[in-house]
Amino acid sequence: MKNKKAIEMGFNWLFAIIVGGFILFLAIYASGKFIRTSEKTLYTETAAKLVVLLDPMETGLASGKSSEINFNKETKTFYDCNSLINKPFGRQRISFSEKTFGEKYGEEGEKISIKDRYVFVENLIEGRRLSLFSKPFFMPFKIADLIIISSKDNNYCFYDTPEEIKKDIEDLNLDHIIFPNSTIKCSGTKVCFSKNSKCDIKIIGMCEDSSCENDYDYGYVQKGKEKLYYVNDLIYAAIFSSSEIYECNIKRLMSKLNELGGIYLNKVNIIERKGCYPTLQTKLIIMMNKAKELDSSDDLIFLIEQTKEIDQINEEGKTGCRLY
Amino acid sequence: MKQKKSNSRFNFEIKLTKIPKSKRSQLKIQEMAFMLLAVVLFFILVGLFIVSVIYSNLYKEANLISESRTLSLVTNLADSPEFSCSTYKSNCVDSDKLISLVGRKTYENFWPFSSLKLVKSTGFDKAEEEMLKCTIANYPNCDIFVVYDREVKNEKAISSFVALCRKELENEYTYDKCEIAKLVAGTEIKEQGER
Repeated sequence: MKNKKAIEMGFNWLFAIIVGGFILFLAIYASGKFIRTSEKTLYTETAAKLVVLLDPMETGLASGKSSEINFNKETKTFYDCNSLINKPFGRQRISFSEKTFGEKYGEEGEKISIKDRYVFVENLIEGRRLSLFSKPFFMPFKIADLIIISSKDNNYCFYDTPEEIKKDIEDLNLDHIIFPNSTIKCSGTKVCFSKNSKCDIKIIGMCEDSSCENDYDYGYVQKGKEKLYYVNDLIYAAIFSSSEIYECNIKRLMSKLNELGGIYLNKVNIIERKGCYPTLQTKLIIMMNKAKELDSSDDLIFLIEQTKEIDQINEEGKTGCRLY
Repeated sequence: MKQKKSNSRFNFEIKLTKIPKSKRSQLKIQEMAFMLLAVVLFFILVGLFIVSVIYSNLYKEANLISESRTLSLVTNLADSPEFSCSTYKSNCVDSDKLISLVGRKTYENFWPFSSLKLVKSTGFDKAEEEMLKCTIANYPNCDIFVVYDREVKNEKAISSFVALCRKELENEYTYDKCEIAKLVAGTEIKEQGER
């Protein structure tokens, strides 16, 4: 004690330092946790707002609609699909995260459910700009709108594109879809409308009878070893979507077809009281049963014949008595 | 005054001297521990207060998002496949399809609304209790189509006017008879603590 070179450290000082250090540690840990929770809350709110932005994509009477979403930072949006939950319509989910300090992405927010929309997209989209476009899906009456999302930061190079499809895409003003030729170059995902080519995505048309507008009215989209069968505007869904989400949404669309078919069958009973006698009930029931049993997109081709027959009967119906 | 001070000091010194030296530091440690406990409890209370304020903002934000979703959906609902007319008219609801939707349980979890109703022009001047609900038996002589109603505690209704059309037979001629109607969609307003 009398040695003035020594520092006196009583027990109460030691105790205060240890406990103070512990409290500081708790405070820093709690702040970190608070920041992470706030980030997660923000990302969950953003995902919910993204779902609201899908609502104006309803086409109504239009043949298509397109839109764009821009973010201030690099973002990641995650998508999944499940046709078995929320029967018969299934559901999709979306979640969001963005780049924070040090080029790292924050923890993904909570997943927001989408039950009344059919979004075709890759499982993960990264980038600052999202391109959205929607096309109505008819079979033969309108089933739903197909909403297709892709990143505008990745280009899609379409080779040997049929004129109808090229015009469709140009009308939608999708500037990340490029049609290369001798003067226009393109680097990005290669999409080819022929079998014999080295492309990332190959589209093979199977429509060869006289009723076809072109070969690509129905067929399949090949991505590596996977084949995604399509009919009409599902071609765009098959090009831009992951196979998992595509197949899941096909099942969801067929369940919707089944429900809408039931509504139309009831409508037939109502309009029969008003002098209308549609004769498409039997064919509609057959189509509904086939849609119910659909296992994958391969079976879509078997619905085409029924679709055309029902459409023909409806078109030829008495004036003022069309079912749809 | 000086004397008083020295007296009090003297008393304090006497008090201190009564406590043995070995116990003095223990007493000081205990004082420190109680003080630290009080400080920690104080900060926990402050933290709880902040969390409750932020949490109530979260409920507000969720309700706002829900309402804006309902508004954007209800304005486009008439063009959806379940409601749209067969005659390529925009903002037109086919009541021959709508009567099939009434009571169809599968659609209760399809749309994000807590309730979905369509009020015909005959029901505009009536309170909801006075309106005649549409069924297959009384269609089309009724006032309100109740597609579904989840009967939630707190609900905010958002409505949109539409054209309601159905097939009608007159002089052996079938035509579309249309009238004005109001599509009413409800959003559930969740309060703090509700799931």
